[in-house]
Amino acid sequence: MKVSPGALALKYFFVLLACAVVIYPLLWMVTMAFKPHPEWTTVAGLTWFPQNPTLQNFEFIFFGEAEGLVVSLDRTIVGPLIASLVTSICGTLLAVVAGTLSSYAVVRFGLAKTLPLSVLQLRLFPPLAVMIPVMVMWAFIGAIDTWWGLSLIYGIVTLPFAFWLMKTFFEEVPVEIEDAARVAGCSYWRVFYRITLPIVKPGLATCALFVFILNWSDYLLALLLTQKDWVTLPVYMATLTSAMGGQMYGMKAALGVIAAIPPVVFGLMIQKHLVRGLTFGALKQ
Amino acid sequence: MTDIKTNSASSRTKQKKQGYWAGVARDGNKMGFWFVLPTVLLLLFIVVFPLLMQLYLSVTWWTPLEGIAWYRAWEVFNWGENYWFQLTDSRVWRALWRTVLIMIIAVPLQFFLGMSLAYLFIDQFPGRKVFYSIMLTPMMVVPAVVGLMFFLLFQGTGPVNAHLGLPSTFSWLTDVNRAMISVIIADVWQWTPLMFLILLAGMLGVPSDQLLAARLLGGSNWQNFFKIILPRMKAVIIIALVLRAVECFKIFDLIFIMTKGGPGVQTETISLFLYKQTFGEFEWAYVAAIGLTILFVLSVIAAKGLAYMAKKSG
Repeated sequence: MKVSPGALALKYFFVLLACAVVIYPLLWMVTMAFKPHPEWTTVAGLTWFPQNPTLQNFEFIFFGEAEGLVVSLDRTIVGPLIASLVTSICGTLLAVVAGTLSSYAVVRFGLAKTLPLSVLQLRLFPPLAVMIPVMVMWAFIGAIDTWWGLSLIYGIVTLPFAFWLMKTFFEEVPVEIEDAARVAGCSYWRVFYRITLPIVKPGLATCALFVFILNWSDYLLALLLTQKDWVTLPVYMATLTSAMGGQMYGMKAALGVIAAIPPVVFGLMIQKHLVRGLTFGALKQ
Repeated sequence: MTDIKTNSASSRTKQKKQGYWAGVARDGNKMGFWFVLPTVLLLLFIVVFPLLMQLYLSVTWWTPLEGIAWYRAWEVFNWGENYWFQLTDSRVWRALWRTVLIMIIAVPLQFFLGMSLAYLFIDQFPGRKVFYSIMLTPMMVVPAVVGLMFFLLFQGTGPVNAHLGLPSTFSWLTDVNRAMISVIIADVWQWTPLMFLILLAGMLGVPSDQLLAARLLGGSNWQNFFKIILPRMKAVIIIALVLRAVECFKIFDLIFIMTKGGPGVQTETISLFLYKQTFGEFEWAYVAAIGLTILFVLSVIAAKGLAYMAKKSG
């Protein structure tokens, strides 16, 4: 369809405006991460791009001290970074394995028909409304501030996404292929492992990345269930705020950039399936 | 005959339940059982037992501070006074109202903006893919980091004041009204892309021949949108709105990082209130009671909603 140049120009105007609004806060944080102390505020004038770009913010959060800074840090980013990675990956594994197996059983064998909705229920309530018993339980079994305690809860809260996402992928596998393999004498396990799983492999990867993003993005659960050893990146970022008397804008921005990169990269990688994942498979693109 | 009646599984399994396939289906069920097991166990672990414990704790004065083990909470049994108390606790109601306020402002705003943006992206145009990717970025950024970003933006000495030509004493996050506005802006920034994404997917699902036909017949853009696109997007719109409303009700990260619920309690939503009760006052039994009430109310709403949808579609 032909679009008049005027309409096209108008369209570009609005699209560019929207993009500018999107980029504005991001840009301020990203450039802030590379700015030395005097440029953190607009007191000496607004500077969008660092006049004297520096890596000292990153140096500071990684090594606890940096040249030209009098303060030092007793805890560096390394611990929280490892904690975030370990708990997100373990939680993702748990959610994806449990979700894949059960959704396959639901799709192929028609088992546990109430499972999809009961799983979905996990996402309905504000986490804080149901966290009291979980915290008591976690304390009771000694899971507070451990990697497995946090991974376990991550695996559980992202299970609905893994389950529903894998359900849609399994539904797309033609049952005839599996029947053919069955006729040829494959056991059910073999059909699943050798035939179906390889077919849904891209879906599985998508699902894993998607669940990883969700786990990585968590703030609240880590805030409630960790104290010191297994504090994750977002929690660490927030404590940096309160621990430092003066405002550590640059360091916090550097931390924010590091925390934001993995999900954005992964998210853009699985762009095509985002709709499916976020709407629990109700909508496909 | 009976086969079809008793078996409410998918049509695929229905056909299989005879002769040779019956034995096969049994094998399948056996494996299926083991496949479902982990998820069911996890669900039981996180739903049944905690719920019972929450119910138990909610009718006591129990707090972790006094050193009484949780299973001995009956020693401070209080006949459900927590439930009575929450009804008269104005802080609960105010927090609830603020949560709803954010919801009824932010969600429609996100919907309107998302819909407009989706309409811009319905046709191909040069650079569409790049712009599309840029538009999606905000919702992938960790919510806590979004909180930090807007915390930085809305500082007195931040760029927003500088751009608007306001003095650095003009505060956003520590002002009674503007703190709320800042939080809503941040939420809209982060979640409009989600609306955009879902609504665009729905819009592209509208049969293009119908749209083309309408255009050829000379329908104006306005008419096409309201007469052709919108009616066919009803389900998608409901999904998008429900998803956002549910998530918005949970809002915590953003506000906690930006204002900690302040100034005072001016941006305290229900989640922030519960957090403060949990870690400020350590009134865990009270939190359990409020949590259960929320759980109950939301479940009723969800059940009603599902029943309504089922009636409409079936």
